[in-house]
Amino acid sequence: MVQDFGNTTASNGSDATSFSLKLRAEPLELSWHHCGVTSDFIGEYFSRACRQGIDPVDARHSISYMINEILENAVKFRHGGDVELVSSLEDDRFEIRIMNQIDDETAEKFQGHLTLLMDREPGELLLERIEENALNPDSSGSGLGLLTLMSDYGAKLGWSFASERVSEGVELTTFASLRLS
Amino acid sequence: MEISTNDYRVWTEGSTIHYEGTMRLSGTDAYAPILEIMNSILSSKPELITLDLTGLEFLNSSGINLLAKFTIEIRKQPEVGVRVLGSKSIPWQSKSLRNLQRLHPALELTIS
Repeated sequence: MVQDFGNTTASNGSDATSFSLKLRAEPLELSWHHCGVTSDFIGEYFSRACRQGIDPVDARHSISYMINEILENAVKFRHGGDVELVSSLEDDRFEIRIMNQIDDETAEKFQGHLTLLMDREPGELLLERIEENALNPDSSGSGLGLLTLMSDYGAKLGWSFASERVSEGVELTTFASLRLS
Repeated sequence: MEISTNDYRVWTEGSTIHYEGTMRLSGTDAYAPILEIMNSILSSKPELITLDLTGLEFLNSSGINLLAKFTIEIRKQPEVGVRVLGSKSIPWQSKSLRNLQRLHPALELTIS
């Protein structure tokens, strides 16, 4: 069964500059540190491929911020397995898909969270979430990653949950796209 | 007071808190020592607290949560003013710092 939320279609075609990377779970011991290193690397890579008229500093930063936030979630919530990234740039449109495995319980929780997220204006929800976090000093996660991407970066996001492609749990694909300026 | 690692440095000078480098810590717990430094400045109730972010190249969303949480703490103490200094050459600052002002309209934000 596949369940989709948000925008899960890709627009970039075969003419796009593309780049894929697989972070192997073993023997690297995939960890927090790899999120920043990987996102900076891909940000740098695509900032050099931008056409004229696009600010490479802003492109490098925005791509890096976007990948880092999604990758941090992938590493934090993954249930074993590799993490795969497929990214591309065509004109001013950067797109990425990040695939990882999560367990059934995480999938269910996340789907509930996404249903709320899809119904609201992200800027409003961001401020609400910040106020909630301030009232709950014990909550360990901020939940601001996806909200800042949508509200501050204008990113389009989507999620696909597929339970048939993996032997255990759910394969989550996160789709993200960004207009570079 | 100072916290210094290979990736970032946070230190205080009077009631100014400086941030430098790249901060991508893993969550609220990891940011707690930094919040502790910030809260210690607030507890001395200065007239004005300055957050100097002009050297902070990168901050993840958990770090944005840290700044937001501290802004809310300051908001509870109307006698304490707050000024945030950012840099136009660091993209995340123009995109995300305005949220602090939305949380606390009296916060003075200068991105130059």
